[in-house]
Amino acid sequence: MSESIAARFHDGLTAEVHLVGLIHEAGALVIRAGDGAELGRWATADLFAMHGRKDELRLGANGQPTGARVVVKGREDVARVLATLPVLHQKRRQQAGREIRIAVTATVALAAVILAYLYGVPLLAGRITALVPPDWERSLGETVARQMQASLGDESGFQVCDSNPDSLANRAIARFGAAALEGSGSPFELDIRVVKSDIPNAFALPGGQVFFFSALLDQAETQDEFAGVLAHEVGHVAHRHGMEQLISTAGTGALIGFILGDMTGISVAAGLGATIIDARFSRDAERQADAFAGHVAERMDFNPAGLADLINRVGADDEFARALALLSTHPLTDDRKAALEILSQQRPAGLEPPFTSAEWNAIRAMCGAPDPKTKRK
Amino acid sequence: MVWGQERPVPVKFTGKRGELAAMLLRGYVLLIPTIGLYRFWLTTWKRRFYWANTEIDGDPLEYTGNAIQLLLGFLMALAVFVPLYGLFFYLSTQSSEAAIVGYSGVAVLVWFLMGYAIYRARDFRLSRTLWRGIRCDQGGSAWGYAIRRFFWSLLVLATAGLAYPFMAANLWAYRYRHSWYGDRQFGFTGSWRQLARPFYVSYVAIALIAAAGLGTGWAMGGVPVSGVPSVGGVVVMVIAVALIGLLVLYYQSREISRMFSSVRLGQAALAVSVRARSLVGQYVLFGLALAGSYVVLAIGGLVVLGSVASGAFAGGEFDLQVFMQNLQGSFSVLLAIVFGYLLLLGAFSLMVELFLGLGFWKLVAQGASITGLDSLRDVKARGEDARLGGEGLADALNVGAY
Repeated sequence: MSESIAARFHDGLTAEVHLVGLIHEAGALVIRAGDGAELGRWATADLFAMHGRKDELRLGANGQPTGARVVVKGREDVARVLATLPVLHQKRRQQAGREIRIAVTATVALAAVILAYLYGVPLLAGRITALVPPDWERSLGETVARQMQASLGDESGFQVCDSNPDSLANRAIARFGAAALEGSGSPFELDIRVVKSDIPNAFALPGGQVFFFSALLDQAETQDEFAGVLAHEVGHVAHRHGMEQLISTAGTGALIGFILGDMTGISVAAGLGATIIDARFSRDAERQADAFAGHVAERMDFNPAGLADLINRVGADDEFARALALLSTHPLTDDRKAALEILSQQRPAGLEPPFTSAEWNAIRAMCGAPDPKTKRK
Repeated sequence: MVWGQERPVPVKFTGKRGELAAMLLRGYVLLIPTIGLYRFWLTTWKRRFYWANTEIDGDPLEYTGNAIQLLLGFLMALAVFVPLYGLFFYLSTQSSEAAIVGYSGVAVLVWFLMGYAIYRARDFRLSRTLWRGIRCDQGGSAWGYAIRRFFWSLLVLATAGLAYPFMAANLWAYRYRHSWYGDRQFGFTGSWRQLARPFYVSYVAIALIAAAGLGTGWAMGGVPVSGVPSVGGVVVMVIAVALIGLLVLYYQSREISRMFSSVRLGQAALAVSVRARSLVGQYVLFGLALAGSYVVLAIGGLVVLGSVASGAFAGGEFDLQVFMQNLQGSFSVLLAIVFGYLLLLGAFSLMVELFLGLGFWKLVAQGASITGLDSLRDVKARGEDARLGGEGLADALNVGAY
């Protein structure tokens, strides 16, 4: 840089443009106006390059006004300045290194948060659930039941199959539920209702309400299957899984929002991500409820593996439900079935069956004769 | 140098679409290993590109912000969102009437906060914009702007849109009268009168077309109560929607041109002319590019799915049942679906940025010229405004532009 290089100079104090020449001498960049007057002398060590267009070099310097810039244009001139001032490359590298370190640190921190979340939230959600007052959970369950009836049932809500609570079938079901829940220390009273619906399903809501759909009852071939599903749903109530699920879903939404930057959670990506993560938690919950059913079967004579048989039979009917199993809130039934088989082998002998054959017949008849159209599709 | 009336100096834009595309593609790839955190760096690079390529009288703008500031801003915005999240959660457990009232309340709150976020984001960008060594800035109050915008929007709603020109002119004026270049304050000479004619003309025309299009389409059976809609009816309705779109773009081009042309800086005056047909051209180009990229992705997707779930395509016929079984069992298929989804999303945001974002910036920049630039030579720098986190809320609320 023996001869001067043409540049534009802004002193950072006024919006004036100075057409200047640059010379590198005595460890400093000297900025001279056309008439030779020295406008600035920036020490080489203080120089840094800003990001600009290609073939344009924008230099600032520490200790100068923050807006002060020397701008060199043209590939050749830029190359000459860069060759003379290797400090610019070093500074750029240092800056890039700093940013990469911050980005990596932040990414590792975020990954740690995600991992802590995946492993910690089932525990944490359980703890938080224990703090939720049972009364609140009960009224929440009633709200959820109303919402569900509005979306699944017709306007009048679910149609209960046998409205007389003192009928043989309802008394037998209530007795079974109470016996299953006994000893779990649950603050809730069960309210098990068999309702008319074409959907073969059963579910437990927060606060102790359990719904058993007639289509699933129609497909149950033995007591074992019916009692297995019912004991499984009672397990959800005892473990307060509905509440736990609500809490972890809220947490997942916050986490996904953080990753995508979309805190409103309206994008499809947010929904998909939340579904995948939540499915994980519900898998654990299903396993717990299965185990609960297994323990109930140690006190009453039914085979908990019947639960898996029934789910498999329903699944065989509905390819679509199976296909979505990976993303759905239900775990794959193969590993569950294996676990249930193990549970069913540990049962003591000589127990009473959960229902007498008169009771079981009454239960099967409570929704009337199965509709041939909906039984098998 | 001669003072006084001089020839207007056109603003130049030197950026190339390919350069931006390469930067965005690199950024999208880096988003994956950084679990999305690279978005702050990507935004910064994007702004450096837009700013550095916008040249006024030989000197380009310079964006001095960096990604760390955006990251910190986002963390601060979380402080607002975590309580909101708690509120959302609580509402979701309430009875449906209470939940609807509660959600509406939160929606109104978010709408109000968006005004605040928009203003703070503009403050952040302006205070990191340098031209000829002098920094821009924004004063005023973000809360004041949010309140203005909120009540104006209520009025617009109450008047079925008729109050819009008043709101637009008022908010433009508030933004520019509180903007600074160094120690010189921007001015704004525009008023609702400049917007009234194009707005009300478009308004009436849209109302007529909507009524006529819907009526004719209905009569021709475009929206039958049952059965298949008739082709003629649907065509009429599609034409009506397209015409309404054109009118909206026509009005937008007028608002942009007239409002930007009302911006003053001391003796310097900005003039911007954006043609409606150029604006329409951007959208047509965007539509073509998006369709093209999706065709390419669809072909690629079929090839990939064919190889990971090859059983379903055996014998030259697609077997849905086998495909669904593959879907259930195979982790690689799930991975392919998630990846394919990300690709679709990436292609969409790439095309939005390349054809709408860049297109709009180019239209405004290349349609702009400035008179009285020489009067700016004695503008002096003001003190520092290094406030952080101006943009966090905007990022979190998805209102950040450029």
